[in-house]
Amino acid sequence: MSHTPSAGTQPTVVEKVFDFVDERVGLKLLAAKMLNESVPGGSRWAYVFGSILLFIFIMQAVTGVLLMFYYVPTADHAYASTQYILHDVDYGWFLLSYHFWGSTAMVVCVFAHMSQVFLWGAYKKPRELIWLVGLLLFALVMGFGFTGYLLPWDQRAYWATTVGVEIMDKTPLIGDFLARLLKGGATPGQMTLSRFFVIHVMVLPAALIAFAGLHLFLFRCAGPGGPFRGTPVELKAKTDYFFPRQIWKDVVGMAVVFACICALAFWEPVVLLDEATPDPGDYHPEPEWYFLFLFQHLRLKMFSGEFGQFLGAIAFPSLLGALLVALPFIDRDSERNIFKRPIALTLWVMFMVSILIFTVSAIINREFLD
Amino acid sequence: MQPQLKSKVRCTDREVGEVTKVIMDPLSFEVSHLVVSMNGAGERQVSMGSVQTVADDLVQLRSSSSEIMALPPFKRDDYVTLHEIEVPGLEKHVHVTPGEVLVPLPELERNVKRRKFFANLTYVMGLFIGLPLVYPVLKYLMKPMYAPFDNGWLKIGNVGKVKAEDTGTQFKFIHKVKEAYLPEAEIEKNVWVVKATPAVLEKVYQGKDLEFRDATGKTIWTNKKDMPYIAFSGKCPHLGCGYKWRKHKVLGPVFLCPCHVSIYDASGRVLEGPAPRPLDALPIQVSASGEVQIIDMEFKAGTKVQSRMV
Repeated sequence: MSHTPSAGTQPTVVEKVFDFVDERVGLKLLAAKMLNESVPGGSRWAYVFGSILLFIFIMQAVTGVLLMFYYVPTADHAYASTQYILHDVDYGWFLLSYHFWGSTAMVVCVFAHMSQVFLWGAYKKPRELIWLVGLLLFALVMGFGFTGYLLPWDQRAYWATTVGVEIMDKTPLIGDFLARLLKGGATPGQMTLSRFFVIHVMVLPAALIAFAGLHLFLFRCAGPGGPFRGTPVELKAKTDYFFPRQIWKDVVGMAVVFACICALAFWEPVVLLDEATPDPGDYHPEPEWYFLFLFQHLRLKMFSGEFGQFLGAIAFPSLLGALLVALPFIDRDSERNIFKRPIALTLWVMFMVSILIFTVSAIINREFLD
Repeated sequence: MQPQLKSKVRCTDREVGEVTKVIMDPLSFEVSHLVVSMNGAGERQVSMGSVQTVADDLVQLRSSSSEIMALPPFKRDDYVTLHEIEVPGLEKHVHVTPGEVLVPLPELERNVKRRKFFANLTYVMGLFIGLPLVYPVLKYLMKPMYAPFDNGWLKIGNVGKVKAEDTGTQFKFIHKVKEAYLPEAEIEKNVWVVKATPAVLEKVYQGKDLEFRDATGKTIWTNKKDMPYIAFSGKCPHLGCGYKWRKHKVLGPVFLCPCHVSIYDASGRVLEGPAPRPLDALPIQVSASGEVQIIDMEFKAGTKVQSRMV
């Protein structure tokens, strides 16, 4: 575990530099603290999602910064500069497509991560705060998806934003103000693009870094939950440290996700529609697939009319959010085994099935519109 | 109370040594063992079950000294210090001062031979992700770095503007540039034109025609050595500032760069200052009616040898 060079050999330059820093900041202890975190019940493939999300975020930051080398957030050049990245700059199509599919991977992994925490009962005491900060991170990820979608300034971007902001507008009392704040005016235009850009590349990343740090800190305070089955003695026997086994699994997970995103970027590279204009033409506005279920449920009869719209667009999603926030405080039973928590299991299955139904029906509906 | 470090340890028959380390159980957060230095006869790990009483500086055991001596020697490698691991909440339960508080390594972490192997595999996976990106990212960033040269002729004005021989006259002109996704932009630039006397002309051309070649080595244009009009790029060859035609108190009329005070004569030769080479003459042609055309070129500043950038 220690880095002491074996007897008889001269320390290498790397070791000398390491020792120099270590003497001043206690690098070895810090590294040991980071790596020697007990994982109750041993490392598992199921635990890789948090690390994978961190990896995806770092890659989104890297590709996002690279895209900003060419992209300009102005209504007259955003589209042209994005097309330039896609068609003229070497590997621009790849980096943009990676960024696009990376965002999808992020949403998928956030769902997996949250589902896992829910099913493992890992939001329960003493981990309520991790869950709450996690929900905030989830909101930030959705915010990234929503704001990033506008930036290419094509028809898809323009209309998804138009509809999204209209939904926000239905919030009682402050809706109109919020929508204008986000749009920078009454209708989407240059001000909207500037605001979305700054939110996407400055505000959200800063918030995500801060809260992901807090999330990790809280996680380290409480420690990993471990499996929901097994006595403490059984768990102790299987316990190992974060390094090497869990890190190894995490890194393999990252590599797999990386390969998947690359493959998607190759097979389904981003193609822009026409440049944004307030005339949709033949285009049927639709949000990104992970917002489709929200989009589709607004087509239901029960959510028609002004009040129905409020119910569907604001009340229902807010209620869902509030329930998730309240979850660790409502569900105070210490039982973590999902097979002994029938209500939780039923709710999760119902939620997932309804997302699936709404998403699929939104896709089927496309054919009726053409 | 928890046994304190350096406390004396007494068996039923005699004192055997002192407490050197304390071992905590990461599950119960209780002290599970003491490590006792046997007065120079190695260390023994004694279970708390054998402890009868604990006082400020004395631990009384239930066993005899021979029973303690018969215990196997303490294996330090099976433990880590509390500083090296993260067991949430454990530190709050430690009331042992000062010194080494140990926690047993999990069974799975003992004698792990493959630690190094795993670390290396992790680096390999990192390379698997990082390396494929190096070339594409470099190519991506390099796209605008080596644009092809524009060798088109640009009209810059009429020689009628030049009033005297061996005198610098500034000609402003518009260079149209299409950059990346932007629409064509008009950039205002300038060159200095000198109508040279044969003596000055000789200093510029040194009796030879001046050939301009493109990247492949093909000749684009030749400035004839006896054509009296010379156009100098408006960029100072020192560090790229814009220079002016000025009257110098000692040297008379000269080209003078305000940035680092490089001074050139009408033939572009360096008279004074840090410039490493003379002013850069550009391809020039003058029509019968006196219309001047040039090829706009820019050369790398600060080098002795001319190397074209634009």
